[in-house]
Amino acid sequence: MIQTIKEIYTYREMIFSLVRRDLKGRYKGSILGFLWTFINPLLQLVVYTLVFSVILRNDIEDFYLFLFVALVPWLFFSTSVAGGAGCIWSQQDLVKKIYFPREILPIAFVTSQFINMLLSLLVVLAVILITGKGINLIALIYLPIIMIVEYLLSLGIAFITSAVTVYVRDLEYLLGIITMAWQFLTPIMYSIDIVPENLLPIFRLNPMTPVIIAYRDILYYKKNPEIDTLFHAVCIGLVLLFAGCFVFTKLKRHFAEEL
Amino acid sequence: MDTENAIEVNHITKSFKVYLDKGSTLKEKVLFRNRRKYDSRQVLNGISFNIKKGEAVGLIGANGCGKSTLLKLLSQIMYPDSGSIVMQGRVSSLIELGAGFHPDMSGKQNIYTNASIFGLTRKEIDRRLEEIISFSELEAYIDNPVRTYSSGMYMRLAFSVAINVDADILLIDEILAVGDANFQAKCFNKLREIKSNGTTIVIVSHSLGQIEQICERSIWIQNGKIRASGIPYDVHPQYLEFMGNRSLPQEKKETEERAQNGDGKSKPDIATETKTLPRRWGNGKARITSIKLLTKDNIEKQIFSTGDDVYLQVDYDVIEEVKDADFGIGIFRGDGLRCYGTNTKIEQFPVFHLKQSGQMRLLLQNIPLLPGEYWLDIAIESERAIPVDYWSKAYKFQIFSIIEDVGISRINHKWMIEKQE
Repeated sequence: MIQTIKEIYTYREMIFSLVRRDLKGRYKGSILGFLWTFINPLLQLVVYTLVFSVILRNDIEDFYLFLFVALVPWLFFSTSVAGGAGCIWSQQDLVKKIYFPREILPIAFVTSQFINMLLSLLVVLAVILITGKGINLIALIYLPIIMIVEYLLSLGIAFITSAVTVYVRDLEYLLGIITMAWQFLTPIMYSIDIVPENLLPIFRLNPMTPVIIAYRDILYYKKNPEIDTLFHAVCIGLVLLFAGCFVFTKLKRHFAEEL
Repeated sequence: MDTENAIEVNHITKSFKVYLDKGSTLKEKVLFRNRRKYDSRQVLNGISFNIKKGEAVGLIGANGCGKSTLLKLLSQIMYPDSGSIVMQGRVSSLIELGAGFHPDMSGKQNIYTNASIFGLTRKEIDRRLEEIISFSELEAYIDNPVRTYSSGMYMRLAFSVAINVDADILLIDEILAVGDANFQAKCFNKLREIKSNGTTIVIVSHSLGQIEQICERSIWIQNGKIRASGIPYDVHPQYLEFMGNRSLPQEKKETEERAQNGDGKSKPDIATETKTLPRRWGNGKARITSIKLLTKDNIEKQIFSTGDDVYLQVDYDVIEEVKDADFGIGIFRGDGLRCYGTNTKIEQFPVFHLKQSGQMRLLLQNIPLLPGEYWLDIAIESERAIPVDYWSKAYKFQIFSIIEDVGISRINHKWMIEKQE
């Protein structure tokens, strides 16, 4: 375990260059290039605003923002889990021919998605400032914490999905549906308060519930997240990370043969 | 582990499951669990060897013998079923060139990506960048996207990165056929330089010539086991002979077909005779009968002095007409180092049509070899380099000298030192 971490540290440049290649390569050839990273979330925000303030009216104040501060972290999570499932499969030439710590691939994938989320959050913050909604600076201190927790959580699950996909190819497609259902079981489009009492245990088990609640507390309600929400998130995050590492270590030995 | 060893391999075995009908979808995995049929194929079957630090070893063997699998086990891409592999030092494997190249990125950016996959840190890459670029000879194009490169340029860039990764142990799989002849020579010189710096090298190649040029030792793997191991000059003839015998049935069929077409006479089956003779193979249509080394006064000798004129005289019998033939020789030092090799085809001689027995003479002018024991290989080949009679270690001779200069051969030279008053 410690040796693996050491090795990943020696290969840190590989993580950086894979992330760089992904971010730079993604919009290569388009006219606006890297600007798309900002334009994309901005346009999404415009669409949500139009839909929810004109067509689907809602009594939640600034519903587009209510939705968006939860949707951005959710998209990071779901892409890491579902998109990340294929990250080893799609690099099979590398895996079959070159030795490097296999953990690098999911780490690089999730990190690249994470940076994307950061850039989208910049757009969100800009919108919050421009619309005069305001920011609670003390609450903002909690933002990096919850982001790191979400990163570890996503990484843990990405470890599992990417490793299992090597053996069972269907998982990648299955995950498309699973994450969609998962999205509706997470308080993203609605508040946790409207969830019926008898369904709450399910929501408590959902690792993304405390994360989304914390994001919304910080960015939308402008208040510090509750300590037990944070504690709940950290615990689930760590458990999933360790579970992910365990599964990955078990499965990675035969990657080259299965691919 | 012995501190002198860079690699220790102990009784490793590896088998693959070969699915006859590979179902990798969930449905098939769950529903047809017991119905899935597979053969277990034993690829490596108890292999053990040690490689000393600074040693260069070639792995040879027929396709599918397990040599590439062995290299993958050494590079930790796969793990053995049983047995152990212990290695000391940083391992770098040149199995795949240009890993992670992105066509839209510039040559320079791709150097960074590619080198990082070999485990280099940014600082280390910065330090090597100039050398990598100059080695690839792509200075003028290094900021262009690699999609604009020709395939030769692409491979040159990829190889330059790979070869400049400093490692204690270098594993190489069939990748030395890169670029034009010039660049290949450069790669070889670089490999020799790396070796002289004390790097341990393991090469998998079908080109025995490449292995002879670099390695002190060849390991011949056959059906997952080590069949022979030793200096290349001893192992390779055995291997070639074995391979020659394996392909013999086909060759025979061809000549039979030709005989049926009526354009060839029936020939005595010389090929079976070569089977019993070690270090000699070929289709037997012509046969070397005597080899002599002579001085310019036609006196047969086996010991010469550096700088002597040496006449090689080879007599041969022709059993069946050989079209488009060429003659070749190789000179090897006693330890297996190839000192020189050439043939009439390389030197662009018109091909010969051998119809009847004859004699070939070759003058080795002022033979520059330094003192030692040498072996001669003599070969007659027909079109497409099919050996007619290849006689390895056919003749042994010795060279002596009164001057105590060192090396392989005396390079023609002249000292020019200004007189000091």
